[in-house]
Amino acid sequence: MSNQNSDNTEDFREQFLEDYYAECEEHLVLVRRHVLAIEAQIGAGSIDVGLLDELFRSFHTIKGISGMVGFTEVEQLAHSIESMLRSLRQAELTFNVELLDGLLAGVALMERVLGARQTGQSIPSIDATIRQLHDLSTSAPPQSGMAAPLHVGSRPTTSVRRWTVTFTPTTGLSERGINVNSIRDRLKDMGEILKATPLVKGQGEISFQFVVESIVNLVAIEDWQELGVVVLPADEGATDVVRPALPASPSNLVRVDLARLDELMRMIGEMVTSRARLEEQIKHAKRSLPSSEWRSLRETTQVMSRQLRDLREGVMRVRMVQIGEVFERMQFVVRDLARESGKRIILNVSGRETEIDKFLVERMMDPLLHLVRNAVSHGLERPDERVAQGKPAEGRLTLRAMTIGESVVIEIADDGRGIDIETVLDRAAERQLLEADAEIDNARLLDLICQPGLSTRLEADRESGRGVGMDVVKKTVETLSGTLSLTTERNQGTTFRIDLPLTLAIAEALIVSAGGETYAVPQTVVREVLEVEPSSVRALERNEIISYRDGVLPLLRLSRVFNLSGPAALPDRPFHVFVTGAGSSAVGIAVERVLGHREIVVRGIGDQLVQVPGIAGATDLGDERVVLILDVPALRKTTLQKSAGGMPAAGATP
Amino acid sequence: MTEPVVAETYVLFELAGTAYAVPSNMVQQVQMVEQITPVPNAVPVVEGVVYTRGRVIPALNLRVRFGFEKIPFDMRSRLIVVNVAGRTVGLLADTAREFVRIPASSIEPPPEGISGLSGKYLQGIASVKGRLVLVLRLVEVIDIGDMDALVTEPQQTD
Repeated sequence: MSNQNSDNTEDFREQFLEDYYAECEEHLVLVRRHVLAIEAQIGAGSIDVGLLDELFRSFHTIKGISGMVGFTEVEQLAHSIESMLRSLRQAELTFNVELLDGLLAGVALMERVLGARQTGQSIPSIDATIRQLHDLSTSAPPQSGMAAPLHVGSRPTTSVRRWTVTFTPTTGLSERGINVNSIRDRLKDMGEILKATPLVKGQGEISFQFVVESIVNLVAIEDWQELGVVVLPADEGATDVVRPALPASPSNLVRVDLARLDELMRMIGEMVTSRARLEEQIKHAKRSLPSSEWRSLRETTQVMSRQLRDLREGVMRVRMVQIGEVFERMQFVVRDLARESGKRIILNVSGRETEIDKFLVERMMDPLLHLVRNAVSHGLERPDERVAQGKPAEGRLTLRAMTIGESVVIEIADDGRGIDIETVLDRAAERQLLEADAEIDNARLLDLICQPGLSTRLEADRESGRGVGMDVVKKTVETLSGTLSLTTERNQGTTFRIDLPLTLAIAEALIVSAGGETYAVPQTVVREVLEVEPSSVRALERNEIISYRDGVLPLLRLSRVFNLSGPAALPDRPFHVFVTGAGSSAVGIAVERVLGHREIVVRGIGDQLVQVPGIAGATDLGDERVVLILDVPALRKTTLQKSAGGMPAAGATP
Repeated sequence: MTEPVVAETYVLFELAGTAYAVPSNMVQQVQMVEQITPVPNAVPVVEGVVYTRGRVIPALNLRVRFGFEKIPFDMRSRLIVVNVAGRTVGLLADTAREFVRIPASSIEPPPEGISGLSGKYLQGIASVKGRLVLVLRLVEVIDIGDMDALVTEPQQTD
């Protein structure tokens, strides 16, 4: 019993951790966005206080939830960053490039710790970074002109200011004698209470809000948090704090498991089938119904058909996310790489709002990172090299996304040195991939640099990071039914272009074996899977039938329809039959075994030579081998035509 | 002698002991023969389908196409993926060997004695390093319309 109990606890913790990682990630996305905005403002000389507040809130949340799951490293990092931000908000520190770097180092380490936690690797040490953050938080702001110190907002610290103080009582606090009266007394000592309002939040939680005027910098008093109090400046901000138009904060978002959306899609698929059946039945009812009634029935199903299409599109839209989130991450990578390599880079980003399927985005992250790293490490030259060539010292890196028809196009372009075609050719010739003086175009060049291990200088990247090479980039793009292309010109730069389908057709499928081959069967058309004893099959003229429910079911042997000569199942071994269609049009399709059930990516079969009856498309099960998808309605039709007039099918007699 | 020579590069492959050439600008890639999935009820020349660059393309058995006996695939067998007339098709050859440059002037038109199907998909005959090479007209090679008639006829007598 206790064992089972601990299993449940483990399950619960797993579930909880999943939510935890997702929530951390959401906050880190916001953090990146805000840090980038702040970085842009460092040049402008004044920092938006609202951004600091947002950052503060994110780290505060991360700290809280990390404490709950017991991830002390993350908690400590968040705490250190929070302290630094607090000092910044109180204008005890000025935001300069060093602080920004410290903040970024903290965020980067936090991501690494979270990654290590998630994958069960050893946790990197946080001591150095914690010390760095602490030093930054406590050191006097550098007043030398070189770092261009920046003032947060324009806030006089000596004059009387207004503060909003919110106190939320808890039983724990009241046990320590802390209640609304004790807080009020404290505030009275520090300044004048202008207003006091009780606030009722959801779930019966009550808090009290005071507006206080004081010459004391209230935020600077450290123990507020222990008293259940949150202090925010309430004064001059109203006029000179510009809140940027930020996208919705995490609280407005709902996290949905992709599997649930797929489930919705499946149900919609079922409705589509039912509607088609309804239409069929209405067609049959034409004779027995008054024509006006019949017409209105038909109209209704047509409206329904349109609505179903809208519904389907609606669900597809839910899967779409903006690519901006990915691009923001790239900005960080570029920033770090630029600093490490001493290169100067201007990053242009366009088409952030371009929408792309969530499934695709997640799988494209590493390949995109790799292309960006490549562009910075190998494409762009050092400033002195650039200047020597008459180029501006700053290299230009462009990330572009756009929707063209049914595809999403992502481009990664640099204005660097271009791919060194000679070196690639030499390497290829060494490995006898082509003859020494062969002509080469961009497509062939791309093929060559995507050969595993051929890339000229990628080895360092493999060490430094995620172990993705050009070969993997290309393979990933292709697995997602996309294409990768390349243009490069010496000293002008290189552009990689990725074309991806807007969304992938993903379906649940049964995987079956017949005649030594493997096929996928879209689950939406399968009503039931039966195990059939060979002895229960009855032959009727040229047909085979089995009894099914109250009638009989015509049997279609897949290996026979497809003329498969592979090893036949032992004649006395039971085999599997999946039932498709309803009522009089039901058919049982016999295979050897139903091997399993999984999600597949549906690909079309384009060429006329391989468009054959009974095959709807193709997929792969992850091993590069094509698995054909059965066109079950077409198979059913052939069976029914063959057996028409021959015998009554299941349920045909009223 | 220094007058510029108009030459195109070709991919050379071998089939039943004879060398063939196809223009390399139509060749997307040459790969080892790995997983070919048979397509039920397809014409016999279609060995099956394969993945290449995320697409599912037909693999045509050139031995069947040119009327030779089928042999099992081995380490030397190659799939030559070609882009012709908007289609991407894989061609299965006994082996594919190299890229060569063949000057246009050294490609002779096929002798008039060759007629029928072979004449149709033969663009010319060249001599490369002393070897006879048949230069193919790819558009005709992958157009299986003529084969259809060949394979369906015997079945109709069934």
